[in-house]
Amino acid sequence: MTKEKFLEELQVKLKGLPKEDIDDRVSFYSEMIDDRIEDGLSEEEAIREIGTSDEIASKVIESTSLTKIVKEKVRLKRKLEAWEIVLIILGFPLWFPLLIMALTFIFVFIVLLWSGVIVAWSLEGSIIATSINFLINSIYNLFSGVFISSLGMLGTSLLLVGAAIFLFYACVKITELTAKVTKKIVLSIKKALVGGES
Amino acid sequence: MDVQLKRGLLEVGVLAVIRNKPSYGYRIIKDMEPYIKISESTLYTILKRLEETNMLTVKTVEHNSRLRKYYHITKLGLEKIEEFKEYWADMKAMARFIIGEEAL
Repeated sequence: MTKEKFLEELQVKLKGLPKEDIDDRVSFYSEMIDDRIEDGLSEEEAIREIGTSDEIASKVIESTSLTKIVKEKVRLKRKLEAWEIVLIILGFPLWFPLLIMALTFIFVFIVLLWSGVIVAWSLEGSIIATSINFLINSIYNLFSGVFISSLGMLGTSLLLVGAAIFLFYACVKITELTAKVTKKIVLSIKKALVGGES
Repeated sequence: MDVQLKRGLLEVGVLAVIRNKPSYGYRIIKDMEPYIKISESTLYTILKRLEETNMLTVKTVEHNSRLRKYYHITKLGLEKIEEFKEYWADMKAMARFIIGEEAL
């Protein structure tokens, strides 16, 4: 691959970012490739060392905030014609509900994703509460002289504590996993907003 | 290592590279290589942040009929390195307390 081709690809993959940002990145990587060639590498090798345009675009998008991307997306690139403004106003009953629907869809999806986490932690909480409840009853029965029942309740309480300890690790894992998935979703939303074809 | 901490260390690392004389992107990566490997995209982010916080300034120079950006350290950048030395002394004392005399 030639340097020109590589930089062109990168440019396309960053299309949705502000123009100054793209130019700055491209000139940075261009300089990096030139300096490697000057150091004795072939053009091909130099580009291989830098990484693929996909990898780089991915990193660039990840380090750009979603607000910046959205701002650039809705920024007008030119002045609107009168008929376009009319069309936007007349089309409001159509595009506005669609926009709301899309946003709601994303929101519901995230909530759905996190509901698993909430369920897991609620379960953990209720197990701990039940275990404490059994423990109190056990002590109460002990002083009431119902020893068999007291012993049974103490056993159940300890069993639940054990379950709670295991579940705690599961809860942490689920939370971490969900956070990771959420991050991935946000990244792919960003990519979809920025993307040329990739 | 903690991401936040590593980022901070790399920032001071880049400042240290350009402390004595201005340098350019590829040179900075090469100079740091024996100690720590950083990628182009990491370096870009660090340089941008250092520029935004006025720790360095950028001067574009013509080199072999193309442009190359040289990074110059500022007074603030030099102060940052000094700040790090003090911070490091505290860290060392803390490490000796936690690990014992064999630390560092």
